[in-house]
Amino acid sequence: MAEISNRPIPSEFRDKLYSVVKPEDILFIVVGDLNLNGKYAESMAVFLKDRVITFDECLDVEYKETKYSDVEKAKIKRLYGNAIFKVKKNDGTYEALLRFSYAAAEVADAGANFINVTNQNGYKEDELEVVEAVYSKQRSFCPKCGRKLPKPNAECINCSGKGKIISKFAKYISPEKGSLIFCMILSVVTTAMSLVPPYITKTLVDSVIPDHNRKGLIAIILLLVGVYVVQYAVNGLRAYQLRLTGDRIIMGIKKDIYAKAQYLPMSFYDKISTGSVINRVNSDASVIQNFVMKISQEAIVQAFTLIGLIIIMLSMNWKLTLFSLIPIPTVVIVAKIFTKTIKPKYMRLWRRGSAISTILADTIPGVRIVKAFTNEKSAIRKFDSYCDEWYHEDKKVAAPAAIFPSVITFLVTCGSLVIWFIGGEMVIGGESDITLGLLVSFISYASMFYTPVNFFANIGDTYQNTLASAEKILDILDAEPEHNFGKGNTEPRLDGRIEFKNVNFAFDRSKKVLSNINLTIEPGDIVGIVGTTGSGKSTLINLLMRYYDEYDGEIFVDGENIRNIDMDYYRNSIGFVQQEPMMFRDTIFNNIAYGSNNTKVEQVLYAAEVANAHGFISKMPDAYDTMLGERGVGLSGGEKQRVSIARAVLKNPSILIFDEATAAVDSETENLIQGAIERLISGRTTIMIAHRLSTLRKANKIVVVDKGEIVECGTPEELMALKGKYYKLIEIQSMGDLLRKKKEEENFE
Amino acid sequence: MPNYIEGSSLKLTPVDRIFVNAEFYSGEKFENAELHRMFPITGLTQYIALIDSEGNEIGIIRDLNDLIPESRDVALGCLDEYYMMPRIKRFIKMSEKFKIWMWTVETDKGICTFEIRNHITAIKPLYDGRILIKDANDNRYEVPDVKKLDKKSYNMLAPKI
Repeated sequence: MAEISNRPIPSEFRDKLYSVVKPEDILFIVVGDLNLNGKYAESMAVFLKDRVITFDECLDVEYKETKYSDVEKAKIKRLYGNAIFKVKKNDGTYEALLRFSYAAAEVADAGANFINVTNQNGYKEDELEVVEAVYSKQRSFCPKCGRKLPKPNAECINCSGKGKIISKFAKYISPEKGSLIFCMILSVVTTAMSLVPPYITKTLVDSVIPDHNRKGLIAIILLLVGVYVVQYAVNGLRAYQLRLTGDRIIMGIKKDIYAKAQYLPMSFYDKISTGSVINRVNSDASVIQNFVMKISQEAIVQAFTLIGLIIIMLSMNWKLTLFSLIPIPTVVIVAKIFTKTIKPKYMRLWRRGSAISTILADTIPGVRIVKAFTNEKSAIRKFDSYCDEWYHEDKKVAAPAAIFPSVITFLVTCGSLVIWFIGGEMVIGGESDITLGLLVSFISYASMFYTPVNFFANIGDTYQNTLASAEKILDILDAEPEHNFGKGNTEPRLDGRIEFKNVNFAFDRSKKVLSNINLTIEPGDIVGIVGTTGSGKSTLINLLMRYYDEYDGEIFVDGENIRNIDMDYYRNSIGFVQQEPMMFRDTIFNNIAYGSNNTKVEQVLYAAEVANAHGFISKMPDAYDTMLGERGVGLSGGEKQRVSIARAVLKNPSILIFDEATAAVDSETENLIQGAIERLISGRTTIMIAHRLSTLRKANKIVVVDKGEIVECGTPEELMALKGKYYKLIEIQSMGDLLRKKKEEENFE
Repeated sequence: MPNYIEGSSLKLTPVDRIFVNAEFYSGEKFENAELHRMFPITGLTQYIALIDSEGNEIGIIRDLNDLIPESRDVALGCLDEYYMMPRIKRFIKMSEKFKIWMWTVETDKGICTFEIRNHITAIKPLYDGRILIKDANDNRYEVPDVKKLDKKSYNMLAPKI
């Protein structure tokens, strides 16, 4: 039987382990990557029904057994960048059993829980299932390459074939196949046309001009005019077609990045700045487009030119053709060196460019704060230093990028000089069949020959630039989106029974934000969540809203695990009013109707009325047609809040969540908002996070959260009688309220 | 305002690798206290918070050098244990496929292999030449001075910073 283990059992411990314990007695194993002294080494904790056996090179003995019955409490002490599995013994002493980096922190957590629960209730199979669930989440590794997958059983992008990157962008190009092929044919025509004039020049120099043939001269000039007309007319048509095709390709990429960005989980935005996403939509997509155009058109044209030229030149004189090929190996070698030098430089340049976009996206929308803190100079200084850094990197790229084409051109010119010298010698000596006309026409062809060579030498530069951008774009396109959009279960209407079961959550492995959350909310309950700042109240709501799906434990709504419910349907069933409501640059009407389809005017008016917003909106000159600026400029904080409540009313949700909805407004507005809330919540399950406990006067249940745990839960009366945290909070606030009232009265006097 | 602790008024004695007993000149005692850096990246020995066993801050030590030498050594030892940010001495191997990097490095704590998901967010170059790295499991690493890396290591890292 394969053991439940986060990593393969270290070979150095394997034999010893099986000599002291039968494989079937092993429940699960936590393999650590540090020894107890904090150095990288293998270590291991083996969990049995009644004891844990630990192996560590720092131990004086080969292994150590700790009976669960000797343990008062097991816990994971998270340090910085590592953690220790500690047990408090019944005699009050502490003992460190295992040390590991955050890679093993989650499974070790499960191990500590297992010991505590087994000590409390005795060994139960159920508890092992909980441990197995944590392991299966951890074991989301690709069986082929061993890399971690975004979720269990997901497709491993590492092993899914090299063609995948190409096929990802081919998706945008293939609808334009017809158009691109048409352009290609036109390109071939123009290229063929461009090869004609030098050939005619030969006849002109060798026979028409020396023979004083006027008629012939006119005929040839007319022929050349015809050739040029066809060449440039076809070229114009091609350029027009190509532009439209390119625009359609870039539009497709941009639309997809934007659409994907909407469905990315919040955890993605926690790690990547919005400026960087904007940069990817704007500039990186254009880089890809340029490259596609270069490859699909120019590369083919240049290849065709190259082949055509070689054939014509060989047919003219093979010796001269060979001489003209002399600089090519040098050109290729120089191009290779160039590519290698410039690749890291381009990457760094991109990073600096992205940093500039990020600072713009940060400070321009926050310009009010910049002004309020008279921080203009510092903001400018910071931006300047970012620009300087960008310039510094750009200079590093600029030098090789500028020198390289010159070196190539110089080599090419040397090639032409060689042909002039050798060809000239041949014509002067009259030793072969080379005529002056042939030499002139050959030189023309030779100069055309270096353009495609130059192109292929330079393409490395564009290619590197493109790869850097493609990587950034795929970062978004490949990122795992939120699940269950358009799939999963739907109900006619949610009743609003919410149940948190053993929920644990951490934004990253360094700190647990929620521990062991167990909470049941009945339909129609009005629940107040209170606690100090940073206690985990909003995180609780973030999990319920499914902004983060990567938590341990389960959350049920109406008995259904929320991870199995259709996301679209689920979020639509919840009305969420936040502390700082977001307004969009649109009319008030559209801001209220945001997220609702086919909204009737009267529904919006009704929603505004319920939200106590109709009064102030109707007094505005443009009323519901009032255009709001960025982030709701033009409305006060309380007004914005009421618009956002109207938004929630319009949704007719089964569950309502208010996250500090009245925290940022004055007492009078608070009353207005409070009135709106009270009208809205009747008959719906309501969760209110509040600092001001006075806003919770309607609540029939209070949950007190502290340091990520629920410390008290019950009716307000029960909690007051308990004289615990809630009682203390009420005491402090009533004192504060009294003081405030007194001060207000003094001020009025 | 935070409560700043006069270095000379505090005596620290070790409990184990990360916990200390703190005793003040006034006679006040705290058992199983911890030391946390307020600036884990920029201030290794300055502004160190003393935390009681309940997780509440007792006060802040402005500079560990203000402590009596024995206490300072205890504090340094505990901080060294608590904060694990291995210093990378050289890069041994970097393989990359489809934007997932596996790096094998030699650190002051030994050789280790870790995974980097997105080098843009995982690697933070600082102005003083240090590079901070956070792997896919949120473990942290530090390159103390990028210019002092050997040429092979530098060439491996350079494209990513």
